[in-house]
Amino acid sequence: MAAWQAWLLLAGAAALAAGLFLIKLRPPRLLIPSILVWTRVLNDVRQQTLWERIRRAVSLIATVVIALALALAVVRPGRVAHGSARAAGRLLVVLDASWSMEAATRRGETRWERAVAEARRLFTSSSGAEMALATTADGLIEGPTTDLALIETALERSQPGGGDASAWPRLAGATAVHFITDGATARPLDPAVVVHSVFEPAPNVGITALEVRPSLTPGNAGDAYLEIGNFAPSAQKVRVRINRGAAEVLSRELDAAPSELLRQVLPIPRGGDPALTVRIDAPQNALVTDDEAFAWVARARPLVVTVVGAQTQWLRAAFERDPDVRATFVDPAGYAARPATASARPDVIIFDRWAPPAAPASPALFFAPPAGTPWLLAQADAASSRSTPDERAPKWEIPGSHPVVQGVDPFTLTVDRARSYSAPALVPVAQSSQGTPLVYVSESPDTRLVVVTFSINESNLTAAPGFPVLLGNAVDWLARPVLFASQPRDADVVHRLQRPGLTAFAGVVTTVSGPANSEVPLTRVGQTAFARLRVPGIYTAQGGGARSTFAVNISDPQLSNLSRTTPAASGRVVTVAAGASGAPWWVYFAVAALVLALAEWWTWQRRITV
Amino acid sequence: MALRFDDQFLKKLEYLHVVSKRAFAGHNRADRLTAHRGRGLEFADHRPYTAGDDFRHIDWKAYKRLGRLLLRLFDEERDLPIYLMLDVSRSMAEPAKFDMARRIAAALCYIGLVHLDKLTILPFGRGLGQESAPGRGKGRIFRVFEYLERLEAAGPTDLRGSFKEFAARPRQLGLTVIISDFLDPGGFEAGIKILRTLGHDVFVVHITSEQDRSPGAFGEVRFVDAETGELREVEVTPRLASAYTKAWQGHAAELENFCGRYDVGYVRADAEQPFEDIVLKAFRQGRFVA
Repeated sequence: MAAWQAWLLLAGAAALAAGLFLIKLRPPRLLIPSILVWTRVLNDVRQQTLWERIRRAVSLIATVVIALALALAVVRPGRVAHGSARAAGRLLVVLDASWSMEAATRRGETRWERAVAEARRLFTSSSGAEMALATTADGLIEGPTTDLALIETALERSQPGGGDASAWPRLAGATAVHFITDGATARPLDPAVVVHSVFEPAPNVGITALEVRPSLTPGNAGDAYLEIGNFAPSAQKVRVRINRGAAEVLSRELDAAPSELLRQVLPIPRGGDPALTVRIDAPQNALVTDDEAFAWVARARPLVVTVVGAQTQWLRAAFERDPDVRATFVDPAGYAARPATASARPDVIIFDRWAPPAAPASPALFFAPPAGTPWLLAQADAASSRSTPDERAPKWEIPGSHPVVQGVDPFTLTVDRARSYSAPALVPVAQSSQGTPLVYVSESPDTRLVVVTFSINESNLTAAPGFPVLLGNAVDWLARPVLFASQPRDADVVHRLQRPGLTAFAGVVTTVSGPANSEVPLTRVGQTAFARLRVPGIYTAQGGGARSTFAVNISDPQLSNLSRTTPAASGRVVTVAAGASGAPWWVYFAVAALVLALAEWWTWQRRITV
Repeated sequence: MALRFDDQFLKKLEYLHVVSKRAFAGHNRADRLTAHRGRGLEFADHRPYTAGDDFRHIDWKAYKRLGRLLLRLFDEERDLPIYLMLDVSRSMAEPAKFDMARRIAAALCYIGLVHLDKLTILPFGRGLGQESAPGRGKGRIFRVFEYLERLEAAGPTDLRGSFKEFAARPRQLGLTVIISDFLDPGGFEAGIKILRTLGHDVFVVHITSEQDRSPGAFGEVRFVDAETGELREVEVTPRLASAYTKAWQGHAAELENFCGRYDVGYVRADAEQPFEDIVLKAFRQGRFVA
């Protein structure tokens, strides 16, 4: 709002209030013979109190001041900030949304609150120009606009949410760019950017790492690696509490020397809740966000596998020695397509030389399903009951790169006969030299399948060294899928290092739910689904009949160390004064208006004091 | 409202006569004794005969006894000038009040007419209105009724201005009856004092009504003065209503005390009271009529 508009609004509001006061709703008129006696009564009464003599003036003043206060609340005046420019053009203010911005300062406000106050001042002092607000986490979140109220609303709504160091919002035609940051994350900046530093060193203790790694001890589901850093200038006693689900498994007080990193390895036994939560508490602790970390112990409970087939002894031998799998063996006649309860639903179903009439709802591994299985064939083949061609003595010569066949040595495997299936959803991940598929995978929003096109009768599968690798890969891929868009070699690493922010998931992912079962909105771009994981916690992605649970943590020594800042490469650096934050001015004006309205009401009530 | 009295009430009025504390002599013969010696019926005294005296008044019996010519003297009987000053300001516009005032005026007129007094009706508000002198004899009462019925209450009250105007014209001294609610922002004292200073025998009939005596409403009210149009925004609380009632009683008591101090007759006539009670009882108790 331009200055003349603001002044016009103020003057108009004051005049309107005074006018309305003078013509305010009148009580009913009553004609009386003479007002002589009333005048005497009221004069007698009012001559006794000073208040009654000044009441009307006070009431009028209060009304005008209320109107002015409300008008000021609309105009939202503010002081001109350091480094601000009133020049015409577009103003872009970028807030650093790193988690370190949530650190509390000595005055009790957070760096983020100080940054928001500084941004507010920048916008207020540039009223009239086009303005835009951006954060390093969300990019451009408001503008360009000349409406200060929109910017104000966006400022109130925004909050720290991480953000990549390389992410930098752009605004076409921006003539002034201000970046308000604490410098915790180093960023390459254009020299024209004016940096406003809200940095103030603060002591902190934070969890810098929490990972669950595979354990070498057979009875354990994994080893939790915990790293706690003391970034305070003095030694601190750090209370560490570790929970599995709601049960506390450890509560210990540790002594942490200045700048010391405490490292703990905690064996996680099998059984129990797979959700692991670590909380720390220390006297000098400016940042709360890094005091909590989460981990998901994927192998806390064994996988439930149902094997369906007439002769499945060979699989029984394979699973008997695996403590990570609890296998159940049923005949095809005893197979129930839909279990009675959800808890009875297996993680993986293995079909040996048999296939149900319809695709199973659970992730499934097939060994040589019958060639005429209709849902494994293309529609034309199924309609004509035509079998797809087999290949005798196929040669698997090229190792596959898909997680299912990763590490399987094809040269030790001898196959006498391999079938092929023509369903379009099946994607071959291992083929013979003549192109006959040996292993298919199918990944769709409804199903997740692995199809091995040869049986043990037609191969040396059970004797081949690649068999346990193939079986383990397939069960892992089916039951513990990595649903992120990138398919790294080590899925555990992906799970361990997931941080808040924009995350890309595979296209088959249909839902992502966060802490307290809150659903995270998904945005699809091509074959990738994007979700913004805003807060640390345990998340679950679902799709293709499988679910993947993973933990999201901040866990970054750079963020937890609140005593360091990155020198800005920019030409202009403005230090934001302490105590700059607080409620915006208009809030005080609104409160003043409310108080004055109450005072006016009170004076109105007291206009007769007899 | 038609100002008519029934025959029975008129008969009752005929037995009354207006009492004046002082003896005023009018110009016409009537049945009120005056201080003058003249041709009345009541023997007063003798005096020696002088040339030019009327032979008919020589007391021949005294001449036979005393051998001197003595003239018999009689008390003169004249009429009483009565000025009925009727308030016709807007504050009297309340029908009950105005009717009561006009009825009282009419009743006093009838009593005066019966006793051949010289009546003058003077309506007043901001100043004196068109006065009326109905003449002598009770048959003129209908002209009085017609005149009073034509009167309308309008304009503000100015007792002092009106009575100054009354005093500005030479008039016979007599009995002046003021029929008013005495709600004059300028006060009633100055006006009444003017009449007293002139030498009139003044009598006050204070007309009141329930609307005058009570605050009239509770809660937030904008009172509008019927005469001046002045507004007063008041929230009438029970406490304030009580203060108003006290203030009005103080106003009435002030008028009554003033009248007592200046030897002015005072009678209060509440508009809600029966009219006959006021004339036949209150006026008698106030020694205004006998």
